[in-house]
Amino acid sequence: MADIQLQNLSKRWGTFVGVQTMNLHIADGEFLVLLGPSGCGKTTTMRMIAGLEDTTEGDILIGGARVNDLEPKDRDIAMVFQSYGLYPTMTVYENIRFPLKVRGIPQAEHHERVMRASATVELDDFLQRKPAALSGGQRQRVALARAIVRKPKVFLMDEPLSNLDAKLRVSTRAQIKNLHHELKTTTIYVTHDQIEAMTLADRVVVMNKGAVQQVGTPLDIYDRPANTFVAGFIGSPAMNLIEGRMTGGVFEADRVRIPGFGGIADGPVTLGFRAEDARIADTGEIAAPVYSMELLGDASMATVQAGGALVAIKAAKDFMAQIGQPIAAHVPADICHLFDAATGQRIERP
Amino acid sequence: MSTTVADRRPASLRLALGAFLVFWLILAAFPFLWTLWGSFKVEGDFFSRADWMNAVSGTLTEAETGAPFTGDGYYGAWVQEEFWRAGLNTVIVTVSVVVISLTFGTLGGYALSRSPYRYAFWLLIIALVFRAMPPITLVSGYLLPFFEWNLWGHLPTTIIVLVAINQPFTLWMLTSFFRNIPKDLDESAMVDGCSRFQAFRHVIIPVMWPGVITTGLFSFLLAYNDFAVTSMLLSRENLTMVPKIESFLGTTQTRGNVMFAVASVVSVTAPLFILVMFFQRQIVSGLTAGAVKG
Ligand SMILES: Nc1ncnc2c1ncn2[C@@H]1O[C@H](COP(=O)(O)OP(=O)(O)OP(=O)(O)O)[C@@H](O)[C@H]1O
Ligand SMILES: [Mg+2]
Repeated sequence: MADIQLQNLSKRWGTFVGVQTMNLHIADGEFLVLLGPSGCGKTTTMRMIAGLEDTTEGDILIGGARVNDLEPKDRDIAMVFQSYGLYPTMTVYENIRFPLKVRGIPQAEHHERVMRASATVELDDFLQRKPAALSGGQRQRVALARAIVRKPKVFLMDEPLSNLDAKLRVSTRAQIKNLHHELKTTTIYVTHDQIEAMTLADRVVVMNKGAVQQVGTPLDIYDRPANTFVAGFIGSPAMNLIEGRMTGGVFEADRVRIPGFGGIADGPVTLGFRAEDARIADTGEIAAPVYSMELLGDASMATVQAGGALVAIKAAKDFMAQIGQPIAAHVPADICHLFDAATGQRIERP
Repeated sequence: MSTTVADRRPASLRLALGAFLVFWLILAAFPFLWTLWGSFKVEGDFFSRADWMNAVSGTLTEAETGAPFTGDGYYGAWVQEEFWRAGLNTVIVTVSVVVISLTFGTLGGYALSRSPYRYAFWLLIIALVFRAMPPITLVSGYLLPFFEWNLWGHLPTTIIVLVAINQPFTLWMLTSFFRNIPKDLDESAMVDGCSRFQAFRHVIIPVMWPGVITTGLFSFLLAYNDFAVTSMLLSRENLTMVPKIESFLGTTQTRGNVMFAVASVVSVTAPLFILVMFFQRQIVSGLTAGAVKG
């Protein structure tokens, strides 16, 4: 059991910045999810915590002790690698058992522990196979079992579910959540999948280009994105972002006019709102011809071109409109988020 | 082994392939089989000036020894000329060379393959340059200092020189084998609780085994077949097998015995066949390595 502190953590290769001055305190027992687009430095951050990558700057503290100079094996962590990292000459059973063996855990406990870990990820039928004879999803589960066979201070999981099919992903996700509830081990979990992030995380860290964009609970991040990057990254579809001008509390852009922003300074701003918060109406703040219509199953999504961007608006599933037909959407000021046009930072409303 | 699409070839192609293989086998095997046959004859037959068919019929062999085949060549070489001593020397030299080259090769190759620095590349290039030089150019340079320091003629000196000649090659070969092993393996082992060396021993070496065997075999062949170094650096009483064979052929002053040489050539070749057959699986998987990615 341990908390983790990242203090001014940076990683550079030459002039290329992998991770930029990251500051983070991960509480004991917390489930933290790193979320961000490909290449944003999630794996790099994790590898630095694991000790597989030297830090360029900054300190890593696990349980209050600085671990920068410790070998990976002395940091007491378990990691699920994005590329599995299974031992090809060993059977699944031996793979899962390996951490117990090299850490000198009494032989008598091995079998029971391996069986419990393999049962958790439903691997019992494959224990005598070599990794080469497994599918991607099965390999991933072996990697997961190998990580949970021990009780380390910290779990690091790098996209552990990326290769599972939808059904197994849901059930393994539930298992991971349950396991965390049971073991209460501090966990850092990397994913691309927002639903995974939302369902698993105590807190989510959104990263972009090596820099932390926002740290917060899943709801926080969804409801109060800290900047246009987070707003445009979280949610499916992501938040609509329209660049326009604020004049006397009224936001204006091409085909858009939203009043009700008292107390906001005049000037260029970016306005954001979620497709599901807006509503189709006879008249409204946005009036534009339909650009495309998509049926989602439980609803349909109308896209219009307004304010120089494509704006999605969720509609009832029986809503029908021809492409080019003019429609209007009700977008009241209280569902809108405002961002600084230059920096992209959130503007708090009075 | 299951048949895949690639295994299903048209009959004509299979026939042509088969014919080619047989032809090639005969071409490759004939010299050895001929020598093997001839080693049981007397010199007059095998090197007959009158009629080469004598080597087949063995006329003189019958006349001289009373039987169509004779072991005289082997007896002369092994017992009279003490070829076993040369055999023993060869065993000492080859085993030492293989063990030493592999030890440095695996450790060094692993280090180089995992090194993020550029010097690793230059070390390998320098190694390649040394490997490309004919060994004899190195040996002639060694001779004088070895005489001066009284190191000439001893087996350990030869072993060290052979290791020096062979090391670049083992280093190259093993480095490229190690490079084919994904880094994740070391890394997961280290996270799982291994030190760097334990990761190497418990995780990397088992995967590397075919590569080590293959490299070991090539090192063995280099030491076993070497003539340039051993003939220059060993005294006449202390030769390994290959230069010893040459000594049977005699010089302009002394009359040698060609049949002793023929018999010992066969004796030298036989272990190679046994060795290759014994390790064939490892060699094949070593040569096709890269198929180790989990
Ligand atoms: N050894 C290295 N040398 C130079 N650049 C590197 C190295 N390793 C990673 N990078 C770069 O650092 C950046 C971050 O990589 P990282 O693997 O952390 O991304 P990621 O967020 O895990 O992406 P993904 O979601 O695709 O796994 C990438 O742009 C990558 O190209
Ligand atoms: Mg990654």
